[in-house]
Amino acid sequence: MTNHPVQVTTEILAACRTGDRDAFRSLYDTYKDRVYSIALYFFHGDRAAAGDASQQVFLKLLTQIGQFRGDAEFSTWLYRMVVNTCVDMTRRRKRTTDLSDTLPAPARQHEEIEQRQVVDAVQAAVAELPEKFRIAVLLRHFDDLSYEEMAAILNCSAGTVASRLSRGHRMLAVRLKKFQERWK
Amino acid sequence: MTDPAAERFAQSMLAELPLVEAPESVWRGIEARLDAGERPRPAPVFRWPRWAFAIAAIFAIVAAIFWRASQRGWIDTGHSSQTIAIGQIGTVTIAPGTRLRVVADRPEEHRLALQHGEIHARITAPPRLFFVDTASGTAIDLGCEYTLTADDRGAGELHVTRGWVAFVWQGRESLTPAGAMVRTRPVSGPGIPYFEDASSELKRAVDGRLDVNAALGAARPRDTLTLWHLLQRVSDTDRAPVYDRIATLAPLPASIDREKVLRLDPEALKLLKEELAWTW
Repeated sequence: MTNHPVQVTTEILAACRTGDRDAFRSLYDTYKDRVYSIALYFFHGDRAAAGDASQQVFLKLLTQIGQFRGDAEFSTWLYRMVVNTCVDMTRRRKRTTDLSDTLPAPARQHEEIEQRQVVDAVQAAVAELPEKFRIAVLLRHFDDLSYEEMAAILNCSAGTVASRLSRGHRMLAVRLKKFQERWK
Repeated sequence: MTDPAAERFAQSMLAELPLVEAPESVWRGIEARLDAGERPRPAPVFRWPRWAFAIAAIFAIVAAIFWRASQRGWIDTGHSSQTIAIGQIGTVTIAPGTRLRVVADRPEEHRLALQHGEIHARITAPPRLFFVDTASGTAIDLGCEYTLTADDRGAGELHVTRGWVAFVWQGRESLTPAGAMVRTRPVSGPGIPYFEDASSELKRAVDGRLDVNAALGAARPRDTLTLWHLLQRVSDTDRAPVYDRIATLAPLPASIDREKVLRLDPEALKLLKEELAWTW
């Protein structure tokens, strides 16, 4: 996924700092789907957890936006909050979510069912990745961030990011092996 | 080892994973929490007359002079607690019976010296902007919230509730994440950090007279935090068993070079920490 969200302007950020609800809504609209999707797939398709995480991220963002100094990319700052929120919530959550309860309703047409199966399999494979690989893969997938940006978000070196992505992708390839023929 | 074909295949499969639209209920929840006052509202706009600006400016200058002067002095809280702002990056609540001093208050460095007592710091800023000196070392904020106690000799405790804190003393560093604590001692500086929920056996093994075997036996996967620090505090002969116990608790990738870790190669230790830290 390579389409970047619309660049957040300094005017929007300045308006958010003054408590402008419309500006905050505009900021929210720019990132909401990416934040929600990362959280959704991070939490094994648990919509309630994804919604809760998204709310926490945007509330934190609004509370702390006065401290955003603008010398870092806004998206880097935001995604760091997403990662921290997801990891913190995971630590607090003891129960695991039954994946079958959380996936979207099955489609009706044959092609759609087949497509749904692929999506479900990919989602399940992502959900099975260890946290550190899962979050790296999701960040890379939903926003085309550089290794350096991801390193800043994940608080590790760019080399470690590269290693986690590579290992995460290889684990996914193993888990999705049955689709390999179709892909070729 | 890389496998470009497998990685390309995985990426093509990931392309099937759709971006999911956030339901409107998320925004409604945010609005409800905002309306419930989770964020301070901006002050209503009020236009002051010009003469008020002049008076306010004079008052501000005088206040700033007094404030600056007080910043350079000691703060003794006596019987009550006190909260001070740390520039624009956070606050420190100073417990009763505490004595400390503001050493530096610049955008690139905020530094307190804690002589004795207890402080609770809440900092939201990039790492290494906020420092607290004690007699047994310096607590360096890495973006966090923590409670630090110290006595005049430097004995004390650091409890981290959010983020990370580094405690350094004469080249020795203890990295303490949320949920963990470390004791500091006069002369020897920071001890070995451990999670608050670690077993009493593990705490005893690293807090008192160091008992490597007991620490290894009591460690859980999460306690690799303690073992990672232990690696750097034990003798050469004890280092290999510590590393092997870490590898048993948290299987390590091939990129971690055991020999380099045992030689305490800084880069190898850093890589090992990054691998383990995800479980801390």
